[in-house]
Amino acid sequence: MNTVRRRLAIAGIISLSLVAAACGSDDNSSSATAAPTTAGEAAATTAAAPTDTAASTDVDFSALKGSLIASGATFPKGFYDDAIATLAGIASGLTVEYGGGGSGKGRSDLQEQVVDFAGTDGVVKDADKAAYKGGEFVYVPTVIAPITMSYNLPGVDKLQLSPKSISAIFQLEVTKWNDPIIAADNPGVTLPATDIVVARRADGSGTTENFSKFLDAAYGPNATPPGTWKLGGASELEWPDGTQAGDGNSGVAQIISSTEGAIGYVDLSDAKANNLTFASVMNKAGKYIEPTLDATTAAAEGTKINDDLTFFLGWADGDAAYPIAAQTWIIAYTKQADPAKAEAIRGFLTYLLTDAQKTASDIDYAPLPAELQTKALANIAKIGA
Amino acid sequence: MTTTPADLTDLRPRRQILDRAFRGTTLLAGALILIILVLIAYTVTNKSLPVFRSEGFEFFTQRRWAPNNEIYGALSFIYGTAITALLAVAISVPVSLGIALFTTQVAPLRMKKWLVSLTDLVAVVPSVVFGLWGIIFLAPKLLGVYKNVSGWFHGWPILGDIFGRTGAGRTFMTAGLILSVMITPIITSISREVIETCPQADRDGALALGATRWEMITGAVLPHSMSGIVGAVMLGLGRAMGETIAVALVIGSSPNITANLFASGDSLPSVIAFQWGEATTEIKRSALIAMGLTLFLITIVINLLATAVVNRATKRVQGT
Amino acid sequence: MAVVTSNLQPRTQQLAADLTGISGRRRTKNRVMTVLMALCVIIVGAALLLVLTTVFAKGWSIVSGQFPAWFTKDIQLAPRRPGPGMKAAIIGTAVITAMATLIAVPLGILGAVYLNEYGRTRLFARIMRFFANVMAGVPSIVMGLFIYVFWVVPRGINGLNGFSGALALACLMLPIVVRSSEEMLRLVPQNLRDASYALGGSTSRTTVRVVLPTAAPGIISGCLLAVARAAGETAPLIFTIGAAKRTNWNVLSGTNTSLSMQIYGNAKESFLTAQQRAWGAALTLILLAFAATLVARLVAARLSRTR
Repeated sequence: MNTVRRRLAIAGIISLSLVAAACGSDDNSSSATAAPTTAGEAAATTAAAPTDTAASTDVDFSALKGSLIASGATFPKGFYDDAIATLAGIASGLTVEYGGGGSGKGRSDLQEQVVDFAGTDGVVKDADKAAYKGGEFVYVPTVIAPITMSYNLPGVDKLQLSPKSISAIFQLEVTKWNDPIIAADNPGVTLPATDIVVARRADGSGTTENFSKFLDAAYGPNATPPGTWKLGGASELEWPDGTQAGDGNSGVAQIISSTEGAIGYVDLSDAKANNLTFASVMNKAGKYIEPTLDATTAAAEGTKINDDLTFFLGWADGDAAYPIAAQTWIIAYTKQADPAKAEAIRGFLTYLLTDAQKTASDIDYAPLPAELQTKALANIAKIGA
Repeated sequence: MTTTPADLTDLRPRRQILDRAFRGTTLLAGALILIILVLIAYTVTNKSLPVFRSEGFEFFTQRRWAPNNEIYGALSFIYGTAITALLAVAISVPVSLGIALFTTQVAPLRMKKWLVSLTDLVAVVPSVVFGLWGIIFLAPKLLGVYKNVSGWFHGWPILGDIFGRTGAGRTFMTAGLILSVMITPIITSISREVIETCPQADRDGALALGATRWEMITGAVLPHSMSGIVGAVMLGLGRAMGETIAVALVIGSSPNITANLFASGDSLPSVIAFQWGEATTEIKRSALIAMGLTLFLITIVINLLATAVVNRATKRVQGT
Repeated sequence: MAVVTSNLQPRTQQLAADLTGISGRRRTKNRVMTVLMALCVIIVGAALLLVLTTVFAKGWSIVSGQFPAWFTKDIQLAPRRPGPGMKAAIIGTAVITAMATLIAVPLGILGAVYLNEYGRTRLFARIMRFFANVMAGVPSIVMGLFIYVFWVVPRGINGLNGFSGALALACLMLPIVVRSSEEMLRLVPQNLRDASYALGGSTSRTTVRVVLPTAAPGIISGCLLAVARAAGETAPLIFTIGAAKRTNWNVLSGTNTSLSMQIYGNAKESFLTAQQRAWGAALTLILLAFAATLVARLVAARLSRTR
């Protein structure tokens, strides 16, 4: 019938769709406009916008208003959730939501300006910084916590592990608990002949990254003296066959608690929630340290902090430092289109760095050392300045 | 089956316009659906280009997946998706057909409503819940079963490899089993509706000729419903290949190519789901999206094959 | 010998032919097959029972213990802290799934009508049919990423809302609606259409007045499957709706949450309170979704003319 007309129409539709595709995936400059999601009355509070460090600790939290959306690392999510919950009781006009989803998701979301700020356990490479649409961003370290070596070995209450043993265990080079390598760390303790079951993460994770970077620094090919840890330091490793994978810290914890002979790396908060036993780990100074919050803060004190406030806590110097500690940051753009929103961001982050630090240990997170807190507050002041 | 609609010049102009408008609307709907699909294909292809620039075609043939060493290989995941989907369909199709046939041919009227509700109830269980149930209940219980079965076939030539050694409950087989439960509602529900439309005359005719119920089913019902059932199976297969969370939780997350069904593995949607959160560089993200593209391509290939095979089979059964 | 059937008898009543003249082998085969079919029902019934037992055992205590606050209070801001409720997720699931249904069902059914009544074997229709099958295999997470890249990112922070999630879910639902509806339309006997044409009906009238009502029960079944799938999906929503904890009725603006996201998010936490919430949300979702299917089937039975 009207085949020609129909074919033309189809061609037209397909070309329209290609045009739409081109428009849809283009970077539209309009994405930077943060349409006012703050309450309409927010205008009243913009009068006194603090832009200097000294005033930020005098922030009146109850006056904070607005709505903030964030995503990112799941390691500090417990800390952020708790702070948000407490702050909600003080600042009724402020809504903050932290969606988690992983450091990669957070960075991707911030890069595309789909969130107001993001949580990340790792540092953004210089080469990738150009892709961040909002321009320059600052790192605000927020909290630190130890990563435990949790295990399930009935009858063994105290276990000591050196990087050498940990490397051997996780690369499946030793298969039984009473192997000489492990026994060497535990003089006087009778270890059973149970099979070792290694529990690790199925999902990519900042915890895996920090754990493996510690092993890489302590026992990798570039360590002094060089060791045999081959898997490198990253959020996802090429695990040998025979390891068991769990989803999230809780997944790994669940494997450990339900399998005799299991061992895995779990952050302190989840390990405690699952009533797991954890081992003491040998630090750089040669001492076996338990994964306590004080030992974590000690690790932070013994670590060199870069100017942009990035640092790596693992394998830190110091007698009392716990060697497998994890750090995390919130990253936010310095250029903010909406001053009211900038104030809300600064206010919330300041809360994290002041009041929330005091209650961090109640929920198994370690506060930052005082000096680092001050530096962090200085970085917060740069947001929206 | 062509039909000449009534001569439209008899109709009043208004009805003509409405008719054209209706036809135009349906054409628009069809075009829109196709556009969406083209867009998905375009977006996925576009975003996965970086990894193809660096890996080329080897992305599909490389067994190893080691992003830290810049090695991006999808083969293990392709294998995992294929195996679990095949297992799911192999288990689910007979069972679903059995239920559909039972519901429509055997069950008395009152039981029928319950059976329909049974299928609906399986359909409303969220995929996450199946995954969690798999971790908590099925995988630990199946570990014992796997060990036993593996013990029986130990040393046998082929079966010994298929039912080989196992260390965990989270394996290809577990994922396949859970998937089969998840795709049963689709296949059952659509097959049931299709079978219901079989003309009573056909069925009565078969019975009148002295057929038993089963013979009536194979002689009258199934030939009539064949293409519909195949459509249902295709939808089920698509779901099995694309299921993300449930499979991710129970497949074991160990990229692996082995005949051993009791080994842990990984699948394309699972690796995307689990690694996306920490994919911090553009090439890592593009590698994961390329996994999605791979699944797309596999689905196309399977659909092409299935359409060809089914056309042949339908002709034979229906005698067209 | 054979029993003559009358067309006036209800379809569902099975009239067995007189079987005494049949060989033992055929009879046995018939019986064995019947038993096997019943076995299939029992297998799936058993699996369902196991799953539901787990969900009820783990989820009942929190839903009944926090009743009615479970349904009326927003979600606790910190998973670690105990306290009701789940209202935000219930409303979220309801509005987002409803919006997704609103997008996918009319579009899908109209598309199926085109495929079966107009397009049939034309090239465009064949391409469309083929790709609808392909779309059925796209993982839910890829749909989510697609909408994220294509729809959410260009809108920046305003892109995270219920509507974006509904779009992603609609993409998931479309292939099921299109393909199942097409199968049902295909099975409408041609003589019904012919009768309508003979009476002077146009194609559109025939489709709307004769074909669609006849195929309606099957189409509704397909749509219910699609809706059930959409209500239970997590991955597409993770990228598109944000992570709100306060109830948000507005699908078009503001972040939201859903029962499926709450199940997954809480299940990943180690705290007992979170675990309980996860299973409570699971139980809630299953019960609500099942109730919805029952209602839909009742309505369909009422509206259906030919059964």
